[in-house]
Amino acid sequence: MGALAIKNVTKSFGDTDILKGINIDIDAGQFLILVGPSGCGKSTLMNIIAGLEGPTSGEVHIGDRVVNNVAPKDRDIAMVFQSYALYPTMNVRQNIAFGLETRKVPKAEQDEIIARVAKMLQIEHLLGRKPSELSGGQRQRVAMGRALARNPKLFLFDEPLSNLDAKLRVEMRAEIKQLHQRLKTTIVYVTHDQIEAMTLGDRIAVMKDGVIQQFGSPQEIYDSPANLFVAGFIGSPSMNFIPCHIAEQGGVLGVALQGEGEPVFFALPERLNVQGRVGQAVILGLRPEQFDQADAGGVACRIRITEPTGPDTMLLSQLNGRDIIARVHPRHAPAAGELCSLVPDLRKAVLFDPETQTRIG
Amino acid sequence: MSNTNGTAHYGFAERWLPRVVLAPSFLLSLVFIYGFIAWNGYLSFTASRMLPNYEWVGLAQYEALFASERWWVAVQNLGLFAVLFIAGAMGVGIFLAILLDQKIRAEGALRTIYLYPLALSFIVTGTAWKWMLNPGLGLEKLMHDWGFTSFTFDWLVNPDYSIYTVVIAAMWQSSGFVMALFLAGLRGIDDSIIKAAQIDGASLPRIYWRIVLPALRPVFFSTLMILSHIAIKSFDLVMALTGGGPGFSSDLPATFMYQMAFTRGQMGLGAASSMMMLATVAALVVPYLYSELRSKRRG
Ligand SMILES: Nc1ncnc2c1ncn2[C@@H]1O[C@H](COP(=O)(O)OP(=O)(O)O)[C@@H](O)[C@H]1O
Ligand SMILES: [Mg+2]
Repeated sequence: MGALAIKNVTKSFGDTDILKGINIDIDAGQFLILVGPSGCGKSTLMNIIAGLEGPTSGEVHIGDRVVNNVAPKDRDIAMVFQSYALYPTMNVRQNIAFGLETRKVPKAEQDEIIARVAKMLQIEHLLGRKPSELSGGQRQRVAMGRALARNPKLFLFDEPLSNLDAKLRVEMRAEIKQLHQRLKTTIVYVTHDQIEAMTLGDRIAVMKDGVIQQFGSPQEIYDSPANLFVAGFIGSPSMNFIPCHIAEQGGVLGVALQGEGEPVFFALPERLNVQGRVGQAVILGLRPEQFDQADAGGVACRIRITEPTGPDTMLLSQLNGRDIIARVHPRHAPAAGELCSLVPDLRKAVLFDPETQTRIG
Repeated sequence: MSNTNGTAHYGFAERWLPRVVLAPSFLLSLVFIYGFIAWNGYLSFTASRMLPNYEWVGLAQYEALFASERWWVAVQNLGLFAVLFIAGAMGVGIFLAILLDQKIRAEGALRTIYLYPLALSFIVTGTAWKWMLNPGLGLEKLMHDWGFTSFTFDWLVNPDYSIYTVVIAAMWQSSGFVMALFLAGLRGIDDSIIKAAQIDGASLPRIYWRIVLPALRPVFFSTLMILSHIAIKSFDLVMALTGGGPGFSSDLPATFMYQMAFTRGQMGLGAASSMMMLATVAALVVPYLYSELRSKRRG
C-alpha cells in the first residue's frame, strides 16, 4: 500500500521556481531519503509534505487520501527539525505533553505515553529540565521523543543530525535506524550528507535545483548513477571521472588510459553497449575502490600524495590528465613520488556522455 | 631595556587614558545630577518659598505635602495613569507586533507608520490630541457635523475623566515603540518552533500565548521598565494636553512639583514632592539594577 505519493509537485516563491515537478511514491514502512546539496529545495518539499506550505501545483497523498487541503495537525505526521525546535520555556515533559494536551489526550494516558517514550529514548532523567539545560544530543532525543509521542503514520526528519558532532552523529544514526526497524513507521528523512543517505535509506531521492535527479535504492544509485551529478554526489571519496575516447583494438571495444608512460588499452565490458560509438568522447566513471595494485597489466602512475585512513590508503594521481583517487590496501601502498601500476576494474565502470552528462552505459 | 621602558610607558597610558577621558563627564554628572539631588534633598527640609533659604524646618514640608489634597490627587492619578498606560501600550503594541509578524506585505511602511509617533515630542502629541479631543473643535464637533448630535465626548473638560485623555494620548505615542521592541523579539524566535507547534495542532493564539510570548519574557521586562519610567516622569504631555486641569483633576506628581516649586512659590514643598518621586523611582529601579548586575556577574 502506498504510504506517501507526491505527484507533479511544483513550488515557486515569486518568480523563482524552487521545486520543478517532483514525483515520489513510497510504500508503508519504507525509509525515504531526500538528499541533495544545501538550497536544492529539500526543506521546501518537506514543508509541503507536512502541510506547512502549500504546493504551487501538484498533489500530495498520505495513505489513501489527498492531503492538499488538510491542516498539518490532521495529516497524522510528526516532524523533527534540524534546530530541534523545542519550546524554550517548557521543560522536557511539557514539550512532549504539549501536542498531547492540544489534542485533548486524557491526563493519565499522557503520562503513560511520556513514560513510554522517555524510556525508549533514555531521557527519563531529563524530564524536568529546560531545553537550555540539555546538550545537543539530548535535545535531539527530546525532539524525537516529541515526535514519537504522536505515534504518527509518517515521520518527517529535516536534517536531524546536522548540528551534532561527528561521533554523536554516527551513534544517533544507528539509533534512528534501529528505531525504524522496531516501529516500522514510514519515514521521510532529509539530509545533505550522502553517508547518512546510503546507510539509512530504503529509497533515496537525489535532488538538485528542485529536480529529482534519480530515485532508487541505495545500491542502484551507487552502482548505476543516472548522471554525473549523482555519481559525484554519492560516494566518498567521490567517483573518478576520466575523459576518454572509445577505441577499437583487435575487434574489442575499449578505452585508452595514460598515466606516466604510454597509453594502455583496456577493454570495456559488453554490458556498456558502446558499439557504434567508436571515436566518440565519453567520460569514464570509476570509483576509487575499482582500482587495484598489480605488478603487470596496469597503467603506470606517479603517486602525488597518499592519504592513509587506517583500513585503506588513498592514492592521489593522474589519469588522462585528470586527478584521480585510488583506494588500495595499506600493506603494499607506495609512497608519495613513487611510480605504481594501477589496474582499473572495468566490470562496474560507467560511461557518461560529456554533452548531456547522463549515463550512456 | 628600552623595550621594557616602552612597554611600561604604554601600560601607563593605557591605564590612565580612559580615566582622563571620562573624568569631565564624570565630574559634570557628579555635580549636576547627584549634587543637585543632594541640594534638593536639603531644600526639602527648609522653609524655602520663592527662592531657596536655609531655615531648617525638619519634616514640616513633608507633613504639609501629605496633608495636601492636591498631592493625593496627583498620586492617585499617577497610579491610574501608570497602570492604564502601561497595560494599554503593552497590549496594543504586542497585538500590533503579532499582526506585523504574519509576513504581511508592506510591512516596512506599516512599521514606520506605527513607529512615527515616537519621533514626536510629547508636547506635539499633547497639543494635537488637545485639538482632537476638544469638544468644540475635534471629534465631538465632527460627529455633530455628521448629524450625530447626541454624541458627546467631553473627557478633556470633565474633571472626572480628564486623566483618561492623558492615557489615550500617551498610549498612542508609545504603542509603536512597544511594537518595535516585541517585533524584534518575535523575529528572534526560530521559525521551526512555530512549525513544530502547528504540527502539534496548536492554534495561532495558543502558539503565541503558550510558546512565543513566554519566550519573550526578557523583552517584556525591559519594556515594562521603560514604560514605567515614561509614566513616572510624564510631565510635558500633561502640560500640553490638559495643563493639569480642569482644576487640578489631571495633575501628576511631576506637574504638582513644577507648580509648587516654580509658579506658586512653594519651593520647599516642591522639593519634598520631588524627593518622594525620587524614592519611588529608586524603589523600582534599584531592584532591577541589582538583579541585572547579579545575573551579569553570574553569567
Ligand atoms: N519562504 C521563502 N521565500 C523565498 N525563497 C525561499 C523561501 N523558502 C525557501 N526559499 C528558497 O528556496 C530554496 C530552497 O530552500 P530549502 O528548501 O530550504 O533548501 P534545502 O533545505 O535543500 O537546503 C533556497 O534557495 C531558498 O532561498
Ligand atoms: Mg533545509
